[in-house]
Amino acid sequence: MAALGAVLAVFLGALLAFLLLRWAGDILNPTPATAPQRVPFLGGYPPEVHAWNRYHVRYYAMALLFLAFDMEMVFMYPWAEVFVREGMVALVEMLMFIVILVIGILYAWRERALEWA
Amino acid sequence: MSPVTRAVLGVVGLGGSLAVLIYLAAVLDRVIGHRVAQQPLRWSAALALPAREAARLVLQQRSRTERSDAEAWALAPALLAAAAAASVAVIPFGPAAAVADVDAGLALYVAAIALVMVAVFLHGWSPNSVYPLIGAYRFVAVTLSFQVPLALVLLATALPAESLSVSAIVQAQDGLWNVVRQPLGLPIFLATGLGAAFWGPLALPDADDLAGGTRAEVSGVPLLLWRAAQLAVLVSIAAMSAAAFLGGWRGPWLPGVVWLGLKTLAVLVVLLLAGHLLARVRQESFVVFGWVVLIPLALVDVFLSGILLL
Amino acid sequence: MRAALARLAADSPVPIFVLAGQGAAGRVDGLRLDPRLRLVDSPRAASLLLVAGRLPRSWLRPALRIHAQMPHPRVTVWWPLGYAPRSLERRFAGVVRVAAQEDVAAVLVRLQQALLRRERASEPDLLPDVDPAPWRGVGPYGQGGKGMTGGVPFGRPLATRAADRDGLELDFLPIRVGPFFPPLPVGLVLELRSQGDLLQEARVVEPAPGRPLPGDVDPVFLRALAEPVPLAALERARARHHLRWLAGMLRFHGLHALAGRALALAEAALVGAAAVRALGRLLERTLALGWATRGVGIVPPEQLRGQPLGPVARAAGLAEDARSVDPAYRALGFTPVTHREGDAHARWRQRLAEAAQALELAERAGDRLLAGGEGVVEAPRGRLTAGGATASPLLELLPALLAGQEWGDAMATVVSLDLPPVEPVQGASGVAA
Repeated sequence: MAALGAVLAVFLGALLAFLLLRWAGDILNPTPATAPQRVPFLGGYPPEVHAWNRYHVRYYAMALLFLAFDMEMVFMYPWAEVFVREGMVALVEMLMFIVILVIGILYAWRERALEWA
Repeated sequence: MSPVTRAVLGVVGLGGSLAVLIYLAAVLDRVIGHRVAQQPLRWSAALALPAREAARLVLQQRSRTERSDAEAWALAPALLAAAAAASVAVIPFGPAAAVADVDAGLALYVAAIALVMVAVFLHGWSPNSVYPLIGAYRFVAVTLSFQVPLALVLLATALPAESLSVSAIVQAQDGLWNVVRQPLGLPIFLATGLGAAFWGPLALPDADDLAGGTRAEVSGVPLLLWRAAQLAVLVSIAAMSAAAFLGGWRGPWLPGVVWLGLKTLAVLVVLLLAGHLLARVRQESFVVFGWVVLIPLALVDVFLSGILLL
Repeated sequence: MRAALARLAADSPVPIFVLAGQGAAGRVDGLRLDPRLRLVDSPRAASLLLVAGRLPRSWLRPALRIHAQMPHPRVTVWWPLGYAPRSLERRFAGVVRVAAQEDVAAVLVRLQQALLRRERASEPDLLPDVDPAPWRGVGPYGQGGKGMTGGVPFGRPLATRAADRDGLELDFLPIRVGPFFPPLPVGLVLELRSQGDLLQEARVVEPAPGRPLPGDVDPVFLRALAEPVPLAALERARARHHLRWLAGMLRFHGLHALAGRALALAEAALVGAAAVRALGRLLERTLALGWATRGVGIVPPEQLRGQPLGPVARAAGLAEDARSVDPAYRALGFTPVTHREGDAHARWRQRLAEAAQALELAERAGDRLLAGGEGVVEAPRGRLTAGGATASPLLELLPALLAGQEWGDAMATVVSLDLPPVEPVQGASGVAA
């Protein structure tokens, strides 16, 4: 518990430190930006539309596959802790689980879900 | 020493050593770059160069864009650095010494590396500009591909230790380092670690084909903070590979901290060299490579070490 | 505090953003090797704007916009390179002009130090401080006003939808990639439509179709059109061109240190073919560029047949080379180098091999003169004929090549084609505005 508190302290400490440094930079350089300075850089011409858009995330199929493997990782964390104690049973059971998921990867590969251009 | 004093000392010590390692990483990057380019560089000049660059950046104005997401833009470098610092906090520097000896330190480490993706995406999304946005989305695709091999390979080192705590993993290496026991582990970890720090071949969000990518609209102190945070993630990857594969603080004669530092620097040199010698990958090729090659190799690593333990 | 920081920052490399106008390409590359300077790819990262050569009229407004995007402290430096027009000084108030014999890098370093110490004021905007997209809308987030997504939050419209090939109708971004976008050759303006990071279509805005452009051809090739020139000089110029292009390509792919090595070879007075081949072996062996360029930007040889496209055609398997018919080359046993695949990988290997071959020919040629005067010469980018250059045929292939490619691959394709920088013909636009 104390260890997690320490991690939180480190996390918040680093966050605060960097935000304070940024604030200090603003104090050192308070020059505001003019309108022509705020135009996003495209190469010389101004943009025609806002960049924020309904971006076509073409790798959505791969993201679903990642979700499956992330859930598998959730199971593998406690499995790693008890593996040596449980012995061959643990190995075989996890192997079966993984094989099913790897077949999923092969299927996704064949169906070209990993490529999108 | 009261626990509060110890905690404060730990946090400050962590911050200080991280700052030193970040600086050394910047110096080494310049030195290695000049060596590869076969251009001369004096060591005295190399040691002062990051400080000079930092001073120049401090004196430069912060850029703003039209209708940006100001809070997210301010948060992004801080989040990246905080994730890196939290991930280094679980790494032990002595037999019973770590700033935060979490019972599931490995899971925390992988979670912190996952936060890197959020920070980079925020950094690319906030300026409301095309090139940073494309860089951000590209990086998400690449991260989803290297995240699983990274976690699997670290998990393999947890098998002999029967624990997810990083200090237990280091303890379990007293006979043999994991780099010898699990030869597939370190190369895969370094390859995916380059992606976690978006360095070298996996520098997709801040790429040259996007005029700097997520960095394209950043200048001044925020740029300095972003680059420092990126180096912090690189140092974190190097430190974890030193702990999980190279025996961490183990070593004769010198104190544990020094050994950890030396091993971290050695891995840093390898990572920086890879950055200078390997071209940037294509997004799709890396996604396919990550899923079809890296994950099966990482799984082979896990199950092979498992079988050898039984 | 600020003075201490300025003192510390005095010796840091000066970040400059270069606008390379007419006659500047080769000289700017020489600046890259100077350790006191750092050429950056975004004006936000730069302190100084270096305008080299002559800026044509159509580039002046983009140049002013880029100047406005630079953060303070900033200053503009003009490196005339032999061009006289004073109109740049009129539009860029306060520009510092580099005198004929001055060392440009020294001027830039001096200016940077003066800026940091606040001995020199940072340049104000040259464009009026008028919001290009004045806020329209009713609510605090720019919402409200006319229509829903037809509204214009904060003055700029939002992207609208278009059909995509996988059936999803999502937004597309019209991006005008301007004359000064670092991966592209200077002056090329593309109008891209991207959905996600895939380019749905690409259109070449500048140069306008049919407009002739001389590009940055080394004068020795132009001389070879009319009179006999030493073969060694011609081949060395060819090798230099290819090595400079190679440095640019390596920089594009993230290999900045190796690009420095290639550039050092290009700028060296006398470099042997062995050094170039060694660099080529290093590039091949470290797999450095294999995964970045294999299968990218394949140009089928049918589209290149019969056109004077030099290394691009030869990398696709067409052994067309104007040097094959020249007796001086035949006496040296010249045969054109070719590759088969026609992708970006084949093209960089082709140019590297041609550079090494050119240096070998130069070593063996001695004082031999080119037969010359035929009116046809093999320039590094293709066959050059007397009567002025025409617009590169590759520009017509570009829209079909780039459509459907991911952003990184599209840019890699453009880089691998080695398009000439776009410059208007002398006299066509008169003075530079």
